[in-house]
Amino acid sequence: MSTRRDLLAALVALAAAPSLSQAQTSGFLPGLDKDAARRIGEAWRKAHPGDTAKTLVAKLFPTGRGPEALPRLRRAMAADFRAGAIFAHRGWRLSNTEGALFALVSMET
Amino acid sequence: MAIIDARTLPDASHLEADLVIIGGGLAGITLAKELAGGPLKVVVLESGGREMEPETQALYAGACVQKADGNKDRPLHEFPVQSRVRALGGSGHVWGGKCGPLDPADFAERAWIPYSGWPISREAMQPYYDRACDMLEIDRFPPERPNAAEASLQPLALDARDGFFPAPRLFARISGRTDRPAFDRFRTQFAEAPNIDVYLYANVVRIRRERNTITGLDIACLDGKRHKAKATRYVLATGGIENVRLLLASDNLGNRHDLVGRFFQGHVTYSNDSDAQREGSAFAASRAEPLDLYAPALRYGPHCVIGAGLAAQKRMKTGNFTATLFRANFSNADAKVAAETQTISKVSAQLDKGQAQPNLLGFFAMTEHFPHPESRITLDQSQKDALGMPRVNLTWVHGKKDYDDLERSIDGLAAAMGAAGEGRLCWSLRRDELLASSNASRHHMGTTRMHADPRKGVVDADGRLHEANNLYVAGSSVFPTSGIVNPTLTILALTIRLADHLKSEKKAA
Repeated sequence: MSTRRDLLAALVALAAAPSLSQAQTSGFLPGLDKDAARRIGEAWRKAHPGDTAKTLVAKLFPTGRGPEALPRLRRAMAADFRAGAIFAHRGWRLSNTEGALFALVSMET
Repeated sequence: MAIIDARTLPDASHLEADLVIIGGGLAGITLAKELAGGPLKVVVLESGGREMEPETQALYAGACVQKADGNKDRPLHEFPVQSRVRALGGSGHVWGGKCGPLDPADFAERAWIPYSGWPISREAMQPYYDRACDMLEIDRFPPERPNAAEASLQPLALDARDGFFPAPRLFARISGRTDRPAFDRFRTQFAEAPNIDVYLYANVVRIRRERNTITGLDIACLDGKRHKAKATRYVLATGGIENVRLLLASDNLGNRHDLVGRFFQGHVTYSNDSDAQREGSAFAASRAEPLDLYAPALRYGPHCVIGAGLAAQKRMKTGNFTATLFRANFSNADAKVAAETQTISKVSAQLDKGQAQPNLLGFFAMTEHFPHPESRITLDQSQKDALGMPRVNLTWVHGKKDYDDLERSIDGLAAAMGAAGEGRLCWSLRRDELLASSNASRHHMGTTRMHADPRKGVVDADGRLHEANNLYVAGSSVFPTSGIVNPTLTILALTIRLADHLKSEKKAA
């Protein structure tokens, strides 16, 4: 089982790596289906056509992908759910932040 | 004293009692059990025999169509026959035994829900719920939480301000589908009391009255015999559809304000499976441990549903709502859809709780069916049954608010779960698919609604018909609003309350 530390490490790796594919080799969500993640991300991008990888990184990781990134993401997700900032994909109700994360994945793989 | 076949009586027999109970279903039996061994001479008149028989069951035949906002009408003409049982024990023959009390919110007058509010509070119902539980041999439902089902299991850690709570459900073994010998004892032993007689194959086809007093009943047997029954007081307990039929067929008894048969409410469940385009109704819990409180390994074991309490309803301006979680097989999904479901649930579990393996569960949704005056039962005078009774025509209406509130409740629960980091909800049914995707329950409610004001209800807070001083109505037809939980426990509790009232009236007399 992965731990929060694994994910944190992965996010740090994601920050340091030029692309997710490199980050995955360092253990980001082992078993993650890249194609599925890319499709979800592309669906989010259709609804948010103006965002680029750069703008998404700025939104998701405004102070970098350091140790504080995960709690900040969690706070952003909770705030999205509270504010009705929802991304619906094939029926799944995800936070807009999660949608943006998948979008970033889709751009970096 | 005995269970008697009314066909064996001499033709034109006259039955006399202090109290006649029309209908030997769960309400009628509960009332007779409460009065067994007491001073009142009680006669129970049951249309059927001990078991379901096609000829008797055919007396139920009628028409039914479901209508819903933005959806194509759905004919359900078998519903009047298939959703009830006309035999001693009534629909208890096919009841699965699920029990729970209505929530405090169900009894409340809620300004955003027209026609809401009971003339009784949940608190006042507690002693009757306790006695109903004792009668069904199940644990009681204490007003405070947690109850026995919740005590050792961890509920989802949702923010209390969201107003969702674990609503307990238990299963009684005294039901036709669970423990047949126990059910048989439940529905027959009371007749051994010296003051009780049960007549089978005794169909009441007319209630006679003079001014505001019921003066007698006409009884018909399918073999052609006709009898009469007379009592000081009467209780109509033939179910949420048949109560209406008998009142309307008896010169519109109780219908001075055109309320009898209106406000029909029936529970339906909503869910769907995945297809090539979308996932079905599902919940990806971000916890590693199984959610045994909500989805126990034993399908018919004690469990909780996720309910929307009064705080949630006030906040969302919705009615009652529940999500029932269950263990489901997700292996048959379209490969792409399945992969995305796995990806979403794994990523959200990682983000929420650092878990690599989320719990993927199915769920179905239920909402309170709001009282709607056009959701109603009428009689078709051109269609008669074998006894000459007009057949019923049920128009079962779900209005725009029913579906608006369902969708708002789903979104509200999804938001509460996501904000708490407990998981993600999947709901992919479109508005125009809701009716076709719903499953109708066998719960028939609201058609002789209870209200202190005769212009707003057919019976008063004691269950007495506003238009008759000696006729009471028992069963879910008196429910002003439907709540969500299976109505049986509340039917029993209200009937026990009625029994106390009848006993106190006798003492006062």
